[in-house]
Amino acid sequence: MKNFIKTATLGTKNFFIRLWNKIKRRFEHNPNKIKESKLDFTLSIVNVVCLLLGVLIVIFPLLNYFSYAFNNGYYNIDVVFFPARPTLDAIIYVMGGEMAAEFWRSFFNSVIITATVTILSNLVEALAAYPLSKFDCPFRGGIMMYFIITMLFSAGVIPIYVLMDSLSLTETIWSVVLVSISNVSNLLYFKTFFEGLPEDIEEAAKLDGANDLQMFFRIVVPMSLPVIGSCCFFTIVGMWNSYGGAMLFISTNRDAYPLALYIYTLVTESGMIRGDAWVEANVKNIQSAGMLISIIPILCIYPYVIRYIKSGLTIGSVKS
Amino acid sequence: MDQENRANGEIVLEEGTNVLDASLPKPEEREEEKKVLWEEPGYWKTQWKRLKKHRRILWFIIPAAIFTLIFSYIPMVGIFYSFKDPSTYKIVNGMFGSISSGAWTFQNYIDIFADNGDIFFAAVGNTLLINVFRLLICFPFSIIIAIQLSELKSQALSKTILIIICIPNFLSWAIVVGVWWGLLDPLRGVFSFINVLAPSTGDVTTSSGWFKPLAVIWSAWKGAGWGCIMFYAAIMGIDKSYYESATLEGANRLQKMWFLTIPSIMPTIALLLVLNISGMLGAGFEQIWTMMQSDTTLKDTQKTLDTYIYEISVLDQSNIPFATALGVFNGVIALALMLIGNKITSKTLKRGLW
Repeated sequence: MKNFIKTATLGTKNFFIRLWNKIKRRFEHNPNKIKESKLDFTLSIVNVVCLLLGVLIVIFPLLNYFSYAFNNGYYNIDVVFFPARPTLDAIIYVMGGEMAAEFWRSFFNSVIITATVTILSNLVEALAAYPLSKFDCPFRGGIMMYFIITMLFSAGVIPIYVLMDSLSLTETIWSVVLVSISNVSNLLYFKTFFEGLPEDIEEAAKLDGANDLQMFFRIVVPMSLPVIGSCCFFTIVGMWNSYGGAMLFISTNRDAYPLALYIYTLVTESGMIRGDAWVEANVKNIQSAGMLISIIPILCIYPYVIRYIKSGLTIGSVKS
Repeated sequence: MDQENRANGEIVLEEGTNVLDASLPKPEEREEEKKVLWEEPGYWKTQWKRLKKHRRILWFIIPAAIFTLIFSYIPMVGIFYSFKDPSTYKIVNGMFGSISSGAWTFQNYIDIFADNGDIFFAAVGNTLLINVFRLLICFPFSIIIAIQLSELKSQALSKTILIIICIPNFLSWAIVVGVWWGLLDPLRGVFSFINVLAPSTGDVTTSSGWFKPLAVIWSAWKGAGWGCIMFYAAIMGIDKSYYESATLEGANRLQKMWFLTIPSIMPTIALLLVLNISGMLGAGFEQIWTMMQSDTTLKDTQKTLDTYIYEISVLDQSNIPFATALGVFNGVIALALMLIGNKITSKTLKRGLW
């Protein structure tokens, strides 16, 4: 414990010293530096101001709206940036009140849908991308065409609805899961990345006696963590936030609603249980609380994956 | 090597050949180009050799192929519903159980333009209007943000700003629409003063004149940050020495931006532009449908192609063959747009859309 405190204080001290030196250096006279013209200086100031304004435009609506989640509904008119009369009533109502059963059921529906699709879809597509990434894969063009056609053309909603209906999967979450598993753009990302992997390591593993599945999971997958991370992230966000597919397959069975669709019913107020005087005054606060809880999982993984995103996207944009 | 590539259907540039020369077939090769791929000499032999070489990893494709077959190709068989006479046809016994019942007709496709032509053309018009304005506003907007971010001196600051302005993209449309409805609420919203712009209803979210501008602005709010990431990555990829030499030549920032940054990211801009134009017929079902819930009249006046298809095929399932025909027609037009876009990019940028 003592050690920990010592290291922590030293680390903090060092951090501040370094920061101070940096600031000092910024203002010192540097004869080697090319002097900026007045126009450039003004431009950079305008640039920073514009960007900060943009950040404000993004942040302000969110901050304002989600303040209602922590606000007392009778004082909603006072909210600008932060809650005017802080209270947790709305959050407690959503998580443990009348609507709680439906909220948590849709929450877990969404968890199941997202987890299943993320694991299955990425596994299946990565597996398929591996042989297709081989330069001398037989019938490579034909197989790619087989997958790409489905990305370009679909027969519309009726045939897929009838198919799900004949499998008696409508009004269940599995229709949403099954229809989302095939994801050709992820297949293309995986393929492009695998093409760039060095062949020598695979040859070496083959000589060491690894079989093909082992080679895939022990050699190829660990080397492609950036692309797998970003593809998984996109799948998670896409499945968590989309409700168009659920609106198509699930209409009457409210037990099978995913969270995004439940939030939709909250927003359009068809899912609200009205009548209580307190609820009437807190409609906006309850909506806000429900939305806030629903975005927490995404916000939790956002910082971890943000570093993968840029690498993943550059991979997608560069075609070998 | 060269021959293998040609068997794959890929164009190989020999070193030293001019790009323009390579794109034109050489005179003596013109005869060969007309041959089908599998009629080329030695094609089956090479494929068999490769099959033997990769026989142990080829089965990896099978799970993905099966999912694609069941959930993408089998529904395509359902196109036959659109060729059935709606008055006599009913779907019973699963997908293919009723293939022989009812008379065959092409009337459904004619009905799209004839009987329900007004609704159809209004829907197409709304979709195109929304998408054209999205293209005119959101697209340059994200390019400007990307250039602004790259002009910042501190990498940490630009990364932080990027992370913050990307947040709305990861919220669902229900939340985005809900947040803005809350802000524009005539009674308690912070921005309620904006509602003077819609004197007829007293609320911009329910007035049909403001529907399209709001749809465009909200999609800009949601997507501009995310849209700029591609451009930002492209700008970061430009060689820094160009900027240094431009500085030594005495170029100021605006000149560097105009003569260096923008020409360098032109291929990315062109590619994304073509991609956007190819997706012109989809206006984002979730956004438009959620925005329509604020007022019942919006569903009639602001119908887009997506919501029109959803209404007739999911909410009102009375005319299945016609709904299928509309879906198939939409799919065919979207396919045609994509193919044209791919042709354009592969001609001008030497790379396809996929």
